[in-house]
Amino acid sequence: MLPFLKILVRNIIKGPATEAFPFGETYTPKRLRGRAELDPSRCLTCGICSHVCAGGAIAMTESADGRGMEFRLWHNTCTFCGLCEHYCPANAITMTNDWHLSHEQSEKYTCCEVQFVEYPVCEKCGERMLPRLHQRLSKGLVGSVSTAEIMRICPDCRRLTSAMHQIKSKVSLTAGRSNS
Amino acid sequence: MATYSIPVGPLHVALEEPMYFRVDIEGETVKGLEISAGHVHRGMESLALQRNYFQNITLTERLCSLCSNSHPCTYCMAVENLAGIDIPERARYLRVMADEIKRLASNLFNVGIMAHTIGFNSLFMHVMEVRELAQDIKEGVYGNRMDLAANCIGGVKYDIDDEIESFLRTQLKELKRPMDELYRTYEKDPLVTARTKGIGILPEKDAIRLGVVGPVARGSGIAYDIRDKAPYSAYDQLSFTVQTETEADVRSRALVRLREAIDAISLMEQCLDRMPKGPTVPDCLPDIPPGQSVARSEAPRGELIYYLKSDGTDRPQRLKWRVPTYMNWEALHIMMNNCKISDIPLIINSIDPCISCTER
Repeated sequence: MLPFLKILVRNIIKGPATEAFPFGETYTPKRLRGRAELDPSRCLTCGICSHVCAGGAIAMTESADGRGMEFRLWHNTCTFCGLCEHYCPANAITMTNDWHLSHEQSEKYTCCEVQFVEYPVCEKCGERMLPRLHQRLSKGLVGSVSTAEIMRICPDCRRLTSAMHQIKSKVSLTAGRSNS
Repeated sequence: MATYSIPVGPLHVALEEPMYFRVDIEGETVKGLEISAGHVHRGMESLALQRNYFQNITLTERLCSLCSNSHPCTYCMAVENLAGIDIPERARYLRVMADEIKRLASNLFNVGIMAHTIGFNSLFMHVMEVRELAQDIKEGVYGNRMDLAANCIGGVKYDIDDEIESFLRTQLKELKRPMDELYRTYEKDPLVTARTKGIGILPEKDAIRLGVVGPVARGSGIAYDIRDKAPYSAYDQLSFTVQTETEADVRSRALVRLREAIDAISLMEQCLDRMPKGPTVPDCLPDIPPGQSVARSEAPRGELIYYLKSDGTDRPQRLKWRVPTYMNWEALHIMMNNCKISDIPLIINSIDPCISCTER
């Protein structure tokens, strides 16, 4: 007659379905998109994260002395959409499952993820340059130049090395021809 | 008998969304209706023009909470149509899964609120408890209870591994019995049928004339479903029935929604069974040429259309969407004609109005 009565009785026997949080434990799934985190040792400072950031929460500012780039993510503006994590080519940004972001009103401007990505130094001339890709690309070769080698030097030295390499290969090529 | 008009809304009509109705009544019977909208206009179409194509994925997801996957999905489809991107096969299935879990949760929410509106709060609580299983899926697989953030231009942002697959299968299996039970309750329980049967009738010819979409159309016997008429994602590979009812009242619309929610479980299981292995996104960033495109999909409330115009820059020149509620709320004039005052919230809830995406 009343089909819901059965469900009602069962639910009463079963007891509350809610979790006792904050007085008890609660479950946080592994994939929950919470506070974003940056690993500065992987960051390439390419800036795609701030380009795709829907809320405009990510600011990247180069330091005045040119030593590196400051990465600042304002948690209060973050929408937890995970676009930065998705588009990051070096897997430097991750959305952790930490959702404990409550803070006092006075801390609202400092509740940020701040990291300093230091630019590496050129082994030849000592100039600062953009972070190297060799951690990711060191396995392969690009053309005939070793990527691992070329990524440790700045773009200027890179051009020179590459040009020298080309000249050398051309010289050997013409030398080979004249021999035959 | 004296005739006078009363205001209904803008707050707490059925859902906690603002919409204002001026109702002319005679005794207890509704004789005339005037709808006025625009209380939550946020200028989102303009905001979309100030953001690049990537940022708009998230912006469109924030249009509405209950159909928050349909919007970015259709937006991405419009961008892909324009740029000529073919999404990977696996991504097609993953898009269907995100769509269906949202449909399930959205439809359950609506029928739950219906129970609340008729004063059957224990049923409302039970529906919400069953819905928690779907919410757990969303949180466990996608990382959020409402905004799945599943889509990106050219594919999807998430993947399903073995651990997640077994979690999904257990959750879906657990949903089946309570869903069948709920369906029987809404179909047979005299407390529910007494308030919903024969209320808010929208005859088929009026439904066609007004161009209503989604469960409102299907509740009036019109088998119109974009998933079937113009299949997108992987819907052409999956089997499902376009659910219809012929009584055209509040009850039939609720039953259509419940049956679609049950179908959603089966669709998700089919996806898990048939999904091929492979990439979920293309390996390069999209290049969006100048031009125009349109995409449409079946949101939980009906047909959703996106129009996109690009001038070749990284921001759209125009982004416009036509949401299902825009088509459906005109039908309230027919449904509410000669109804009782106490049935007004029930009838409004039966079109499942989504004011936040209609007024954006």
